[in-house]
This record gives sequence, C-alpha cells and structure tokens, in this order.
Amino acid sequence: MSDFSVIGKRVPKLDALDKATGRAQYGHDLDLPGTLVGKILYANVPHARIVNIDTSRAEKVRGVKAVLTGKHSGAHKFGYGGDNTPLKGDKVRCRRDEIAAVAAMDDDAADEALELIRVEYEELPPLFSAEAALAPGAPLVHQDRADNLFLRYNYAHGDAERAFDEADEIIEQEFFLPYVTHAAMETSFALAAFDLQNRLTLWSTTQIPFLLQRDLSEALGIPGRDIRVIQPVIGGAFGRGLDVYPFEPICALLAKYSGKPVRIAFTREEEFFATAARQPAHVKMRSAAKRDGTLWAREAHALLDAGAYISWGAVTPLVMMETVASLYRVPHAKFVADVVYTNNIPTGAMRGYGNPQSTFFVETQMDILAEKLGMDPVEFRLRNANVPNSETPQGLKITSCGLRECITEVAERIGWERRAGPNSETRLANTTPPQETLQIQTRNPKIKRGIGIACTLNVGGGARIYRSDGCGATVKVDDFGRVTLISGSTEIGQGSETALAQIVAETLGVRVDDVTVINSDTSVKPWDVGTHASRTTFIAGNAAWIAANEVREKILDHAAQMLNVPANQLEMRDRQVRVRGDGKGVAFDKVVRAMHYREDGIVVSGTGWYDPPTKLVDKHTYKGNISAAYGFGAQAVEVEVDTETGQVRVLKIVAAHDVGRAINPMYVEGQIEGGAQMGVGYALTEELQVREGRVLNPTLLDYRMPTALDMPPIESVIVETADPAGPFGAKGVGEMGGNPTAAAIANAVYNAIGIRLNHLPMTGERVLRALQEKERSAAQA
Amino acid sequence: MKPFEFFSPATLPEAARALADYQGEARALAGGTDLLIRMKRRQWTPRAVVSLNRLAGLNEIALNGELKLGARATLNQIIRSAAIREYFPALAHTARGMAGVQVRSLATVGGNLCNAAPSADMAPPLIALNARAVIVGVDGERVVPLDEFFVGPGKSVLQPGEILQTLLVPRPKENAFASYHKLEHRAAMDIAMVGVGVSLNVERSTFNVQHCADVRIVLGAVAPTPWRAKRAEEILRGNELTAERIAEAARVAAAEAKPIDDVRSSAWYRREMVEVLTRRQLQRLAETA
Repeated sequence: MSDFSVIGKRVPKLDALDKATGRAQYGHDLDLPGTLVGKILYANVPHARIVNIDTSRAEKVRGVKAVLTGKHSGAHKFGYGGDNTPLKGDKVRCRRDEIAAVAAMDDDAADEALELIRVEYEELPPLFSAEAALAPGAPLVHQDRADNLFLRYNYAHGDAERAFDEADEIIEQEFFLPYVTHAAMETSFALAAFDLQNRLTLWSTTQIPFLLQRDLSEALGIPGRDIRVIQPVIGGAFGRGLDVYPFEPICALLAKYSGKPVRIAFTREEEFFATAARQPAHVKMRSAAKRDGTLWAREAHALLDAGAYISWGAVTPLVMMETVASLYRVPHAKFVADVVYTNNIPTGAMRGYGNPQSTFFVETQMDILAEKLGMDPVEFRLRNANVPNSETPQGLKITSCGLRECITEVAERIGWERRAGPNSETRLANTTPPQETLQIQTRNPKIKRGIGIACTLNVGGGARIYRSDGCGATVKVDDFGRVTLISGSTEIGQGSETALAQIVAETLGVRVDDVTVINSDTSVKPWDVGTHASRTTFIAGNAAWIAANEVREKILDHAAQMLNVPANQLEMRDRQVRVRGDGKGVAFDKVVRAMHYREDGIVVSGTGWYDPPTKLVDKHTYKGNISAAYGFGAQAVEVEVDTETGQVRVLKIVAAHDVGRAINPMYVEGQIEGGAQMGVGYALTEELQVREGRVLNPTLLDYRMPTALDMPPIESVIVETADPAGPFGAKGVGEMGGNPTAAAIANAVYNAIGIRLNHLPMTGERVLRALQEKERSAAQA
Repeated sequence: MKPFEFFSPATLPEAARALADYQGEARALAGGTDLLIRMKRRQWTPRAVVSLNRLAGLNEIALNGELKLGARATLNQIIRSAAIREYFPALAHTARGMAGVQVRSLATVGGNLCNAAPSADMAPPLIALNARAVIVGVDGERVVPLDEFFVGPGKSVLQPGEILQTLLVPRPKENAFASYHKLEHRAAMDIAMVGVGVSLNVERSTFNVQHCADVRIVLGAVAPTPWRAKRAEEILRGNELTAERIAEAARVAAAEAKPIDDVRSSAWYRREMVEVLTRRQLQRLAETA
C-alpha cells in the first residue's frame, strides 16, 4: 500500500494561496449591485409579552427601505424543535429574540432606524436555569407545551442498579460545564436576492446547504425548489452552521419586502450572543469497578439548558451516551439526559457535539477509579479499552480500533514514568527547562507539575442522525485532462476539498492540482446532509471514490482498445494509462479526447452515491450502529500549576489519534492541533458568561481563546489502522482532537496539586479557591 | 457610527481651541484603537473628533536629564527606543505586554493614560517611576504629577480643551529598579485582572545589608484609578529589606486595594493577587539590586 502517489502526501490546500493572499472571496466580500444592509433589533428582555411595536419613526429615516416585524414573518415555524419564527410577533423568550429588522442603504441609516423602533413589553417571570425551568409551577417558555422539558433521553444496558451493589469500588461526582462558543474567524453571513420569477438565492455561511433549503422553505412558506443556496468561501464554522438561524429567513424577508438584495453580516458581538453556543451541563455521575480492575458500571444524569429554542444541539446526548456506554467496555451503563427550555440564549451544535462534555466527566472518573483501585491510570485504561472487531452493548460495531496503540504512544512520548503516583511524597520533578513567560516566576517552589491522560471515541464513518447520511458526487474529465469533482459536501475551512481531490487524483493517476472541486451551489451539486460528525472525508470521500472509479473503468476500457491489451493489465499513474510493468502507454488526456471525438462518443464522467450501512438509533432504546467506523484517540499532557495564583499552564500535549489512514497527514495534524487548542480553551479560559440570560462577554477580548503564546508544543501521532469501509482506509478526525484535552488537563492538574475541580473552566481563581479550601480543611483535621 | 465634525490641526493651540469649542463633546484622536471602536459601537458619540496626528513633536522620545516621552508615542516606539530599553526597561516590558503587535503600532501611551481605565497598563509603572504629565490647554501649560492625573474610571484631570502633551520621567538613581507585572487570563491580548508597578531604591550599609531608600507601589485594575499603596510603601521606606517585611508590605498593599467583581475577576481574587504580585516583584527587585 506504500505505492500511493497522492494519498498520504502532505499536499498543500488547493486554496492555500488564495487564502494566504486575501484573494479568497468570503461572504463578507460579496456584493451585488444595489445591495442593502440588513440589521436586526433584539429584544434584550428575557421573557415578555410584546404589547406594541411602533416602527413609524424608523420607516421615515432616510435610506431605509424596509422595516419588518413579526406581522411580516407569518406564522411559519422552523428549526429542529419546530418552535422558532424569524421575527417574534407575540412573545419574547430570550434576550436575543429577533423583534424587528430593517434594510437600509448603509449601516448608519440601519442603526438609526433600529434606535427609533419603540417596543412595549409586559415582562413575564424568567427562567435562568434548567433546574428552575423544571420546578413545579414554573412558567412555560412555550405556551403550547405541557412543561419545559423538551426531551428526556433514557439509555441503559446491562443492569446498572444491581451492578453497583456488586462492585468493589464506587465513586460519585458532580460536574459543571460552561457555555462555550465557536468564535469562528468569519462571522455569520447571509445575502438574499430574489429573481424576477420570485426564486430566492441565499449566499450563506451554512454547513448544511440542503437542509437549509428545506428549513428556509418551512420558515418562508415557499417551495424548496425555488430556493438556491450558495456557499462562498467559509471562514470556519465548527458546528455553528448546522442549524438555520432566524437571521437567514429575516434576510430573505427583507429582500422580499425591499425588492433589493439584502446582506446581513453579523458583528462580532452578534456572533457571540446570536449564534448557538455549546449548552451548559450539570452532570451527576457514578462509576464502579471490580477489584481486579474491570470497569463494571456507570450511571450518569445530565441536565442540559437548551435555552429558548431547540436546535440540533438537542441531539448531543446521543453522542454523550456513546462515550458513557462505549468508550470502554463496560457491562452496565445508564445515561439519562434532560433537555430543558429556559429563557437563556438558544444553544446548538459545536465541534464534538456533546463529546468534549462527556469525555470530560467520563475520563475524570476513569482517573478517580484507577486511584481508588490503586492502579496506574494508563494500565486501567488499557485493561478496559475497546478492541477491533467487537460490538459494544450499545450496538456500535467497532471494526478498526487503535485505542490501545494511542494510549501506549502518548504515555511513552510524554514520559509517563516521570509521573508521581497519588501517594508519592515528591511530585513530578521540574525536569523540563522552565520557559520564560509573561508571568512572574519560573523557578519557584510554589509551581507544581503534573501529567495526565484522557482518551476519546468519536464517530469516524458518518453519523446517522438524519434519515440520510449520504453524499453524492460526480467526476468528469475534459479534453485537456482537467478533472472536475462535483461534490455534495461542504468546505468550511477544514481542507476537505483537497482531501477529496487527493482521493480522485489517486484513483485516476493524475496530480492533485489537475482536480477542480465544485461544492458550493445547491443548483449544481448533489445531495449531502452537511458537514458534521467528522463525516466528510469518509462519506464524501467514498462517494468521490465511487464516481472516480466509474471514470477510471471507462478510461481503462477505452485505453485497452487503444493499446490492444486487456484492461486489467493497465494502471493509471503520472497522467498516463500504462501497461503494468511495461513502458507502453498513452496519455490520460489523449484517451479522453479519443472517447469524445468519435461518432459514438461518450461523456467521460461518473457518479457516486455513498450512504453508509448504518441505522438511526432506536427511538426508545437509543441503541444501534450509528456510524460505519469509529475513531479513537488518547492525549497526554504535562501542566504547571502556580499554587499562589492558581493559574495552570499547559507545557506539552501529546495527541495520538487513530484515523484509519491519513489522506493528508498535514490536515490530520491541523485538525488535532486545532481541536487541542479548543480543548485547552475549554479547560482553562473559555466561558461565555451568561447571567440572567445576558451574554456579559461578547468580545474576543473577554471571551478568551488561547493565543499562540498560550499554546504548548503539540506532538501529533497519527495511528493508522486502515478501516475496511473508509476511502483508502480513512476515518474521520474533524472533532476528535478537542474531545479529550480538557479531561487530560484536569487529570494533570490533579496529579500536580491533588485537587479535582470538576468545574470548567479551571481559571486561576477556581484553582486558588480550591487550594485554599484544601489547606483550611487540612488545618482543621 | 454617528456623523461628526473632523479636525486635523497643525498646532497645539489650534487643537486645544478645537477641543475647547465643543465643551466636552469633542474627542481627541491619537491611535484610535479605543476611540474608533467605541464610536462604531455608538458607546461614544462625539460631535467632533480632533486628530492629534499632524502635531509635530508629540511622538518624540528623548532622554536628556530626564525622559521626555511624547504622549503620541506608540507602544511599539516605546518598545524599540534604545533610551527606554536601557534606562526604563519596565516601560518597554509593559508596552510589550499590551494588546497585539498591530494594535501596538497604533496605540499611544497618551491614549492609554487619557482613557483613564483603572486597568491602564502604562499608568502603574509610570507613577512608580515618578512621572509628571505636561498638559497644554488654551490658557497655556501646566504640569501635574501623574499620581494626581486620574480622577475616576474614564476620568482624568484633563479639562475640555486640554491635551496631554508629554510625560516627564526622572532618570532612576544608580540603585533604583522598577518593574510592572500584570495577571491575565492568557499570555497575550488580555486586560489585566491586576497590575502592579513597583520601583525600589536600595542602599547597602557597611555590613552589606539592604535598606529601602525609597519605594513606590502602584496598583492597577483594583481601584477606581491606578492606586498608590502608600501604607505598604511606609512599611518598607527607610527600613531593612527582609523577606518578612516584604511579605508584610504585600499584605498591606492587598488591604489597601479597593477591587470590584466584574466579568474578568472577582474582588476576592484581585485582592489575593495584589499580595502575590507585589511580594514577588519586591523580592525580585531586591534580588536584582
């Protein structure tokens, strides 16, 4: 398998030059003649009846072309929960509710008009936590529902109740996870234009162009066939674009009522409060083991604050339960998750989709259990790790599985033997040289070091959360040997275009830059469910591979006639069709011309459709094989804790991930490093602070993602297990990199200072408080 | 952004006159890294903006008897100035810890001070170094110790029509050292939860014992203005520098702080950190001396 010419090579991204030089056309760069600026008025009260909206003064502002309120948006409901409308007519359910919108000639006129809209509210008692929303007699967020519980997930295998009686060691903790958000570099964007036949074109930063077509059709009450979605270059999304947002149909409504194209480009503040953050969670969990080190049982109850409207983010418990029930072999497991309406900001999908949360509490408890058993955390994990070709009680069919290799790799590379045991008097020695920092001390006895590890399981072969998990592809070749791949998939900056081009180039024996990828227009490309669940390389890659193979067979057949040898003796390489083991051959483009330029000529093209052999999970048991392959990973980190400031610094991350096969090792590393960066933020500094339904820190200054200076060296280790179902053996890696990082850091912090925080982010303040409490209770004892 | 009048005068008196004419409803523009953002957000809606960018000499850095630091000097100029690096390394270090490289090439020391944010990084080290502010107005010039420049959050002694022209910083004595450190959530692009500027003048007696001849301890982000911890200074001034005395001074500095809870930190944590940052810097400066 080592004779690939393109697969496994570090090919630069096809659009690297355009992006590096600023030529790439993002949505924000787009302009059509006569385009108006669209802006939205948000409620800024958490829960209220709308008594009156007066837009008369706003309408008179010079340059204003449309002012819309709920009465213009109709009663069409949309969204995963079917509970949202573009503009709200009667009731406000959260502060970011869209009350009115204006389209104007420029920003100033639009801002002026927004300021002149007067809204009269009659405030209602607000619900600012899931607990409050579930209390008996709590006011209803949605009047048409019996209570505020949107959905309870209830999963079980084995007999968890009895199993805890049989176990030797039982632990129980509570975990608190914060709101965090994608903070993609490009803010959300929409540009809407109607043609003279009243057909809508929407340029969008969406990740789900075809589902958006359907969502817009529902929200606007126009047929889906009259909606075309175009995706310009998208500057990151990380799950943000998995749902339709009110601003998208609002943009279309403004275009409809003004008769002009309208663009809505979110400000950075809107990006923070008006997209969908990862939901906060309060989790109670217990785990149990047998004395011999067998993981025995696990039970978790998660309370998830979904906010005022239900998005695809409500489905994240499906992923959480995978980690709870299937990351390790555990004979008994129970997982209950309540998804609750409140008057907080609506939440949604974010990279990992429940997995960073569940990996945090599962992997923290793995460490605690190991210590209780007196086992090394690495040994405990290896003992209970999944193995290839097995099926978990949840019904996940694990084919390729490199979890053990990942664990062993990271333990060895971080220098696990340096780690002090739990009862050791001396903590980890400062063996690595101190690094100069902006903080004060480097050689200070008050600074403690520790090492921690955590693992992850992530879907790697698509994830069937919609009826179709499919993707279509077409490959065609022109007379000059340029190959075009038309793929249903969506590029959001992850590099999928180039990975798909590599798959096609390898199959046809051409160079990667001979392949053009078209993937941005629903009127051109075939169906795809969207970019999510780390699925694009696997699903769209298989579809592209099938389409390319059809072309390959056609070309080989014709070349066989031209060369007068059987097709099975031919190979395609270096832009040639050649007789294997012989020098004789014919140029790739010459074969194509020969197929075109004749009386019975044919189109040199192929189509592919791939929908993995998986099932929607059972509606009641939540069991079933949701993905055609599973990715695994382990990360080990070394940290330094300043016991006087409480601040944690990550000194090193070693990340080993089983990706089946790296189509392009450079992008695999990019995904791992980017994921780990989000994980470091989740662990230490990032929190969207939401108080009384208001986002207090909607800026890149106060929502603190780690900068380059905060990030330690990351050693990425690619473990290749060649998955039987993946294109050239590949599995998805898009989300995995961020799943275990926070847990590994928390475990390292414990190793350094003997404290479990169980509450993210682990800010200096939280760590210091915990240290002082520990000192106080030690003094009392 | 709301519409506004724009002036770009060539002389200080003209600039002062333009600012005075709007009676507090005009804003001076230097680097614009705070002003323009607030105007775009409509937090500030001045009727006029008076650019200081054509005024000659306002961005000069010169060292004669003392340092003359032009108010419009950018943070990058401060970082690169040979005189500052040699004689006032704490100022270069402070500037390097602010914002990011692009912002540092626009943001000015005067802008940082005149915005009068309690967390302004340049204030504590400059006050610790005993800087004075040269203020020019329509009626002439006045000099105010920087210590007395700040009045409250967002408020300085500047009156409508007054412009901060220059900062005068005396050259430190032979055995004087200064530093500034801030506690941030991340290593760059952050605003101080706590900032502490310290200057320490050490004398050695015959038995090689260290005495504190003079000291200034200035706290940032823990009071309505940059805040001198004067009682803490008194504990050290004229006394032998021992670890115990330094620890005591740090504790007193923490008690003198008047921190609040906000989105960046709690008052409790800020107070704790004043102690840690003060103690560590005094220790380090004493070790250096």
